[in-house]
Amino acid sequence: MASISARRLSKELMEIKNDGCPVGINLIKADDFSTWWFTIEVMGESLYQNEQFTLQFRFDPQYPISSPAVQFIVTEGKQAPVHPHVYSNGHICASILGNEWSPVLSVIAVCVTLQSMLASCKEKQRPIDNDRYVKHAPENPKKTRFHYDGECQCYRIIPIQDLTIRFL
Amino acid sequence: MGNSSSSSSRSHDETVDFGFLTPQGVYTGPRDWNQTVVTQLICARRLAPFYRPLEDYDDSWTDDQILAARKELPDAEGQEPRLEQPPLASSVSSKASHSKRPNTLKEPSKPEAAVYRGAAECPICFLYYPPNINHSRCCDQAICTECFVQIKRSEPTTTHLVSDPAACPYCVQENFGVVYTPPPWRAGIGSEGSPSSRSDSPKHSSQSDNPPTHKRRQKSFSADSPEVVTTDQIRPDWEAKLAAVRAAVTRRANRRIIMRQVGDRLIPVGVTSGRVHALSPEEAATVADNGNGGTWRSRRRRDGGGAGGAGGLEQYLGQDLEELMMMEAMRLSLIEHEAQQKREAEEKQKAEEQVKNVDTASEPIASDSGSGPVGASTSSASIESPSTPSTSHQKNDSLRVKKGSIFSRSRSPSPVPPVSKQSSVPPFSTLGAALTSTNSTASAILRSSYSNSDSNSASIPIPENYSETSQAPLLPKDEATNPAASSILSLPSSSSSTTPSITIAPVATSPIPQTTSPDSLPTLITMASVSPISPLTDADASELYESLPSSPEENTSEPLIPRAGKVKMENTGTNDKVRDGNRAGEFSTADPEHVEEA
Repeated sequence: MASISARRLSKELMEIKNDGCPVGINLIKADDFSTWWFTIEVMGESLYQNEQFTLQFRFDPQYPISSPAVQFIVTEGKQAPVHPHVYSNGHICASILGNEWSPVLSVIAVCVTLQSMLASCKEKQRPIDNDRYVKHAPENPKKTRFHYDGECQCYRIIPIQDLTIRFL
Repeated sequence: MGNSSSSSSRSHDETVDFGFLTPQGVYTGPRDWNQTVVTQLICARRLAPFYRPLEDYDDSWTDDQILAARKELPDAEGQEPRLEQPPLASSVSSKASHSKRPNTLKEPSKPEAAVYRGAAECPICFLYYPPNINHSRCCDQAICTECFVQIKRSEPTTTHLVSDPAACPYCVQENFGVVYTPPPWRAGIGSEGSPSSRSDSPKHSSQSDNPPTHKRRQKSFSADSPEVVTTDQIRPDWEAKLAAVRAAVTRRANRRIIMRQVGDRLIPVGVTSGRVHALSPEEAATVADNGNGGTWRSRRRRDGGGAGGAGGLEQYLGQDLEELMMMEAMRLSLIEHEAQQKREAEEKQKAEEQVKNVDTASEPIASDSGSGPVGASTSSASIESPSTPSTSHQKNDSLRVKKGSIFSRSRSPSPVPPVSKQSSVPPFSTLGAALTSTNSTASAILRSSYSNSDSNSASIPIPENYSETSQAPLLPKDEATNPAASSILSLPSSSSSTTPSITIAPVATSPIPQTTSPDSLPTLITMASVSPISPLTDADASELYESLPSSPEENTSEPLIPRAGKVKMENTGTNDKVRDGNRAGEFSTADPEHVEEA
């Protein structure tokens, strides 16, 4: 019996192939049930006009109970959008990728959410702590415990490893 | 597949309404919920049974198609759902069901297939289940039992000391719970008692109220409604887990690193606490390089508060790993300086031997700082080695010191400058205890370390709690050629005044165990009971531990001293006289004081 992750992703994939992706979102790689790539661009008026970004999803076997690891690709000439919630290494500080993930969400739902996050951006800038975070960031953004501050948009990021050391 | 004929073979007590009591393989992760509770809830029809899901579903399917679409279990555990009793099957055969599919009425219907009529898709796993599926208490969304048992509170971590209640995956309302409406008929477990069960079958129900579609309810249930099954109910241990993590953090915050001073360096040789804890190599190095004890001390002094009572939960934590890590850190640390120490020891040995020759009494040893009795050490714990005397001296000193402030003691070498060995001993004993408890190889390490320690006359900072326990250790030790070992052994011997032979691993008797929380080290505890120190109850020990960090005054050290066993040990340890040979014998027969006198 295939794992829940593979089973569900196969259904999501089937829906994507049957119904297509929302406007501005395209599935460009889904060779297996561990890593998918999408291109994402913001339609209409926005600070990101004519920019296209590549979004990577990585799934573990407990998906959808556990959230996918989502980040922008920053290799092969690709860039992460300059956005207050997007670090230059492609990591994204978005609560739905962390503590507000719900198994009811889907890959496409995440894409749409991130697309709207870009669309609503008022000012192109990196997170305040970008340099510090990028220097110490874990490879997998799921290993970072982002601090979601609703209003001030100030995201303090605390790599879990650092914390662990501190507590030893 | 389960038609009436086959059904009889399977005992009906394995299924509830053609569903199962255990997961059907949708998820492969650990089953960390309380299966007993889940089983009870299913039997009570408060939670949908684990139906074998359909990969897909269409109302036009025949029974055979439905049964063919059912997921097969990955392992032998899964069996076909069977009819609980032939009568049921027969009744079923009287077609009736499938309101949606008139044509199916013509076929003999199979109850285990009929239950899937009007199947509902679980929005999380995307699989189809019989329409009697759980619904979220808050927003009335369907969720299968397979998915429901996967949803749980956020796991507390040492960096996130809260356990947030699981939120509804659909509406994000806190305290997720489901409500289950069972079908009007019963089959399997719990069907015997109910009058209607026999006659009832899935088809009947479908007949009576047509498609078993779920009527959306208007109101939501509160989390504490009797109908609701919450995620906490099937994981009743969440509070214990949270408490365990909190206790672990508190314990870590209260830890003190046991340092040994070698020259101008401080070398971590162990960690105090109920629980032995590992130093990361980095950290160990940092600490070692840092001559100023105050810094690391304060850095670690994070008070988690109220650690009391948490001890019993430590079992939840990966203590073994921590202990192993600590052992490794200590081992590396010891090896690092071993060569140097040996060199020093050899040099000193000459001098020491000379002294010994001159004076049989303890004096010689004392005069030689650890180096002395390198070769002399005795193999058996009971036997004292020349080196022991020195250690004993040191202990006395340490005792005195300890009452005052551990810190002072730790920073500065033992009060008695001449006896360098002494200081080293206490830490070793603790270390030894920890090692033995954690690892069988520990003894070997200890010996080496001990020898080293003896050779080095370093001052060992002792944790507050340490003072109490540490004093005793300095007895003669084994031959092992390590003078240091002797010191460790000594402790046991002294403590074991009641026990004739100290052959027991020296480590075990070491003081540390006692300080450790009761649950932490079984072996150690036992030892403690045997030893004079036994007066200390586990509870006492734990208390000591707790109080250690913040309040030195509270240390039980004082009370301990009065206690015969402990005091004696310390005293004996201090005595150089005892050092030789038959210490074990003496101790066993006579009390410490005696020994001293002797």
